[in-house]
Amino acid sequence: MKYRILIVLFLSSVLVLQGCASKEASVNDSNSETEIVSVNDPLEKVNRVIFQFNIIFDKLILRPIAITYKAIVPEFLRNRITYSLNNLGMPITAVNNLLQGELAKAGVSTSRFIINSTVGVLGFFDPASSIGLESENEDFGQTLSVWGVPSGPYLVLPFLGPSNPRDFTGLLSTSLLDPMYQIGGGSASDSQRLYRMGTGAVDFRSQNIEILDDLQDNSIDYYAAVRSFYSQGRESQASNNLENNTKTQENDIFDDFDIDESYVGPDIEIIYD
Amino acid sequence: MINFKLLNSILVLFLTFASFAYGNDYIQEEQFVNKFADQAIEILSNEDIAENDKTSRFTELVMNSIDLNLVSKFVLSKAWKNSTDDQKERYLIAFKEYFINSYANKLDQYSGEKIQVVGSEAAGKYIIVDSNIVREGTDTLKVNLKWRLINRDADIKIIDLNIEGISLVIAQREEFQSFLANNDNDIEKLIDKIITVSK
Repeated sequence: MKYRILIVLFLSSVLVLQGCASKEASVNDSNSETEIVSVNDPLEKVNRVIFQFNIIFDKLILRPIAITYKAIVPEFLRNRITYSLNNLGMPITAVNNLLQGELAKAGVSTSRFIINSTVGVLGFFDPASSIGLESENEDFGQTLSVWGVPSGPYLVLPFLGPSNPRDFTGLLSTSLLDPMYQIGGGSASDSQRLYRMGTGAVDFRSQNIEILDDLQDNSIDYYAAVRSFYSQGRESQASNNLENNTKTQENDIFDDFDIDESYVGPDIEIIYD
Repeated sequence: MINFKLLNSILVLFLTFASFAYGNDYIQEEQFVNKFADQAIEILSNEDIAENDKTSRFTELVMNSIDLNLVSKFVLSKAWKNSTDDQKERYLIAFKEYFINSYANKLDQYSGEKIQVVGSEAAGKYIIVDSNIVREGTDTLKVNLKWRLINRDADIKIIDLNIEGISLVIAQREEFQSFLANNDNDIEKLIDKIITVSK
């Protein structure tokens, strides 16, 4: 047990130190000419291969399971499972609220877990939200981001999909820091973790069948689309906890684009009617 | 067992923070979003019109509300500058088809969602109207949707939609950049690909 916590501490300290180092470097860089925000994906070639593998895995296994699940389990039950998965994640959120120094939010997350596990029948219902106790899921990847750790290059993991060194460390640490795991000990917590991982994957996939099919069919570059969605989504989740959020970065991208069209050269206008 | 006083104070704290989130209100822009959402929902929830008709009516509304010329150029980024007038024109036409194709035949998936505008703020040259998509019958399942609008002398147009922190225009731009980078920066190949996917 101590060994595990040591690993977490080690991994986070390495990342935090790297974060400090790269922050300094980027300050120097920003003095040079303004650069167009580029995608951090030096391992693109390898990533694309793993991405293709994941697509095949999804096509052959995950997607069929998700479709069957959606077809045979009524919506009411599926919603109960979504809620119960959220509830099982609440202790992790509470721990991360604490690690981020958000005491009030940790209180909300803990209250949610207690209320929904009892009044909400093992988390299958969400009475806490109806009395205004709402909280967003927080994972250790987001905590690392609050601590100033940069995401690092984009990574595609076999089976697990889009990630980066920060989120992958977060993913490993989340299961080690999970209070449910620490309290349970032994086989009970293992089966619970398997329930969360397996059911979580099917639950997520079944909620996104049309969206992902659609994205795949209509993409100019499916790999790049997923990469953009993942990176933007994670950055904005992380920036919910930060003052210098990605909103400004996004605004800069749009502001770089001159409305008076001088940037784009001779103008072709098509009249849409 | 549950300390309701504590819960109440947490609740009050939570609501206080929430109400501080937005100060400035851009009434005109908020009204624009509300009007657009009302018109869209009116078309989407109309069971009496045929699918094709629905798509064309929706397209008419969208084309009047979005600055597609600007969006088209923005997603092409630097490549726009390096294109010939002929390429630009063919690209604009292809992108419009692609854009319409992205929602055509899916409008029947609408199932009673509503838009609730919650605030607005200036963002450089643009105004951002913040809203939530709320599913009927549930108040806990919300999807955040931010509208990036441009206001040229009271002529308001949509520039971007941001869903839960994901900007659709930036995602599209990154996709095009990636395609070009992997295809010799050849705009002809991009135009061909856009046309193929739209079919």
